[in-house]
Amino acid sequence: MDVWDNLALGLETALTPTNLLFALIGVALGTAVGVLPGIGPTATMAMLLPITFGFEAVTSLIMLAGIYYGAQYGGSTTAILINLPGESSAAVTAIDGHEMAKNGRAGPALATAALGSFFAGTVGTIVLALGAVPISRLALEFGPAEYFSLVVLGLIASITLASGSTVKALAMIVLGLLLGTVGQDIATGTPRFTFGQRELFGGLNFVSLAVGMFGVAEILRNLEGTMTRSVVVEKVKNLWLTKTDFRRITGPVLRGTGLGSALGILPGAGHVLASFVSYSVEKRVSKRPEEFGKGAIEGVAAPESANNAAAQTSFIPLLTLGLPANSIMALLIGAFIIQGITPGPNVITDEPALVWGLIVSMWIGNFFLVLLNLPLIGLWVKMLTIPYGVLFPAIIAFASIGTYSISLNAYHVYAIAFFGILGYVLIKLGCEPAPLLLGFVLGPLLERYLRRALTISQGDATVFLTRPLSLALLLLAAAAFVIAVLPAVRRKREVVFEEE
Amino acid sequence: MRQGHSYDAAAHPRLGRTRPLIGLAAATLTLAACGGGGGGDDAAAAYPDGDITFVVPFSAGGPTDTVTRLIAEPMSEELGQPIVVQNVEGAGGTIAAGEVAAAEPDGYTVLMHHIGMSTAPSLYNNLPYAPLEDFKTVGLVTEVPMTIVARQDFEPQTFEEMVEYVKANADTVTLANAGVGAASQLCGLLLQDALGVKLTEVPYEGTGPALTDLVAGEVDLMCDQTTNTTGQIQAGEIKAYAVTTAERVESLPDLPTTEEAGLPELQVGVWHGLYVPAETPDEIVQELTGALQVALQDQNVIDQLAELGAAPSSQEEATPEAHTERLSSQIDLWQPIIEEAGVSAD
Amino acid sequence: MNTHRARKDLLAGAIFVGFGLAFALTSSTYEIGSALDMGPGYFPLVLGGVLVLLGIVIAVKGAAGESEDLGPVPWKAVALLVGGLLFFGFTVRGLGLVPTLLVTVFLSAMAGRRARVIPALVIAASLTALSVLIFVVALQLRLPYFGPWLQG
Repeated sequence: MDVWDNLALGLETALTPTNLLFALIGVALGTAVGVLPGIGPTATMAMLLPITFGFEAVTSLIMLAGIYYGAQYGGSTTAILINLPGESSAAVTAIDGHEMAKNGRAGPALATAALGSFFAGTVGTIVLALGAVPISRLALEFGPAEYFSLVVLGLIASITLASGSTVKALAMIVLGLLLGTVGQDIATGTPRFTFGQRELFGGLNFVSLAVGMFGVAEILRNLEGTMTRSVVVEKVKNLWLTKTDFRRITGPVLRGTGLGSALGILPGAGHVLASFVSYSVEKRVSKRPEEFGKGAIEGVAAPESANNAAAQTSFIPLLTLGLPANSIMALLIGAFIIQGITPGPNVITDEPALVWGLIVSMWIGNFFLVLLNLPLIGLWVKMLTIPYGVLFPAIIAFASIGTYSISLNAYHVYAIAFFGILGYVLIKLGCEPAPLLLGFVLGPLLERYLRRALTISQGDATVFLTRPLSLALLLLAAAAFVIAVLPAVRRKREVVFEEE
Repeated sequence: MRQGHSYDAAAHPRLGRTRPLIGLAAATLTLAACGGGGGGDDAAAAYPDGDITFVVPFSAGGPTDTVTRLIAEPMSEELGQPIVVQNVEGAGGTIAAGEVAAAEPDGYTVLMHHIGMSTAPSLYNNLPYAPLEDFKTVGLVTEVPMTIVARQDFEPQTFEEMVEYVKANADTVTLANAGVGAASQLCGLLLQDALGVKLTEVPYEGTGPALTDLVAGEVDLMCDQTTNTTGQIQAGEIKAYAVTTAERVESLPDLPTTEEAGLPELQVGVWHGLYVPAETPDEIVQELTGALQVALQDQNVIDQLAELGAAPSSQEEATPEAHTERLSSQIDLWQPIIEEAGVSAD
Repeated sequence: MNTHRARKDLLAGAIFVGFGLAFALTSSTYEIGSALDMGPGYFPLVLGGVLVLLGIVIAVKGAAGESEDLGPVPWKAVALLVGGLLFFGFTVRGLGLVPTLLVTVFLSAMAGRRARVIPALVIAASLTALSVLIFVVALQLRLPYFGPWLQG
């Protein structure tokens, strides 16, 4: 069968009223849980898994997948409006998105996120449809050594997330890496930094960290009393993008989509890296790097596009090889099994209607999302007119319930308080929180791939250099590092900041 | 992550009714301890009267979760009460077991656990419960066979060749596993023990990434549940040498058993069983055992388990006696193996 | 609220040195291994050391600088928000969602600069109702409204 037959089959499957309805339900639910901090897509999909027992396999997967990429859309909303990112990609969006909201440009920020996501989702789906099978083989070229080098590159890129001091950004990354080591060591099972508390064996939770370092710290800043309140001090100027905005986001959306589509294919690290690698690329190529961190629309367009493109292409290993790229894909494998389908490389040939129906429905779901989200922008922006004395207790309430419900673990709530104070103090001292969060996300990956590569090579450290792909990534990382910290370059950077 | 799902006996679509969407997406965050009524004889006589919670110590969508959901449906039907499945992940399943051990012994909190119940005492120094003393067994549920698999281009073609090759190249062969205490690690330990070799073990954070590296040819060998490997074996992405149970697996009919292949001591399966807190009245345990036995004869359960390469436990196995016997013999089996390998999870 | 003055970089450096030392010292109690065969302590030990070094670099740069205005610190808000979060964690199991949330939201609402008791109570009651609607009614999380401590 060629691509057109496949797509025709997919359309036929995806366009049945039932499947359309459940695609809509999935993306609407996904948007809702993406907006609320804590209850992420994984929990929601797990919750809904049993309902899907009685559905046709394809209907069930269409809905579950909808929740996943719907949540990617929803996650940026709270990041932009109240600086409360629900997952790592949204943490990047929050940097400039929330600044835009403070400048009265929440509308354009949300519109950029929605349009960028839609475009990226569409391209991601096309990549999935046209290239899934050949591309999936490429992903297998990445062994532990390559992943290690990729994560190193990602860490170097995250230095650029901060607009202030490079050495402080480095320290925040390292602190994040260290916080990522809390919990049981996967290689030996040794619990590290858990104070003997079994509840901490699973490690700290990203949501607690993000809610504390971004959300609570922001609330404390706002309660300092020197200013009335930073959240949308300025009147909301307009909801829609200007011509200039459109011109400014075109490049970032295209580049973000490209990067996201490529990185999404790599199981494990790819999706995580997509949004902030694309952010740092934009900051690098921009003619106005000084605007980043202060409400640059490119800083919203690029990571949002990258994130959504990656969300689509991360289905490639699952659909073509039956290999899960992350915990969400593992859950979909569970859904396959419950439906009586043996997950594996044969699914795409044995169940073409299922695979292609799902792919086509993902594009339809992205279309629903943009229809759903654009009219909502006005409503979301209105949320900012809620008096702050009501808004911040609501953030505390939702964040507590959300993080607690992840695993009924009170430590996740205590962690919000701890990281709220830490974030507040560090931000006051000129240390920006984004690099710490990315260090936290990448830390476990870095250690895992490093130790795994060395174990497999029986302690031969040259694997990182003798494998061409790994070497290329390390050289790229070295180049990025030189650019980031070279004194001459840095002096130039500092000049830029002194000009403010 | 923990959430639950209500299995309303009357609401399964296969029974001709449909469910409203949200109402049945009943994610329960109820504490195990506040699940149901009080203890005592009166409560035992009235049992079951209210939601029953099945605690699963692993993530939703995984093999243990799937098995639980499969039997929860017909058991709920038999008991006439909704069964809510809760996933309480963490610390190799010991958090869930600890919670159930401490739960109200009223039959409304039931633990589903697998082979890990018997290995935890050897893996963890500070276990907050004792498997044999703090629980009553309800019955065995199923045993998922394991397969010994290798990357596609691994030299040996047959099990016998593999044994020879591994013995000759013990210092270079890598053996993947899905983490400390995972079934794949246990099976790997047993394999090394049976062959008298020490291989380089490569731990992963789960089956998915381990299998990915095996398919990609980064690691040589692995031992994992049929649930995870069947699709890859059938597609020829990985090479399979043997299945580790007494009988061949229906979905992989050409695969010899380890016994046929000449290594009978390599017998391991991921057996699952149901547990309640130790103080639970016997009448309540009988109710649960009875419902389990009925559920294991359900055609849908049999069919779905077959898809996983497994079969329901026999009626004799699905009893507290057989279950306790299995648990204590497995504790004795694993203790020296784990100790000798020097594996510890805390 | 009064304002504080400090050498920001000196303080930031000290915090990083503190965390670095804490992680490094704790790591040294785990099996370290070697660079090519790392134990669980290796990675955090090395990173802890790196963090100490970075902290020193930041502090040395800061020691030379002027002390800067840190701005006011909302001590009351810090105490109330942290208190509210800790209360939630400690009691949500025992008291159940409704009473816990009422107290936590009330404490948070009192953190506002011009907060008064009556409006804070109103906010607590309405946000609790809203949270129950969103999380328990709509999303069906079965968090019990009242926990075992209240059921005698």
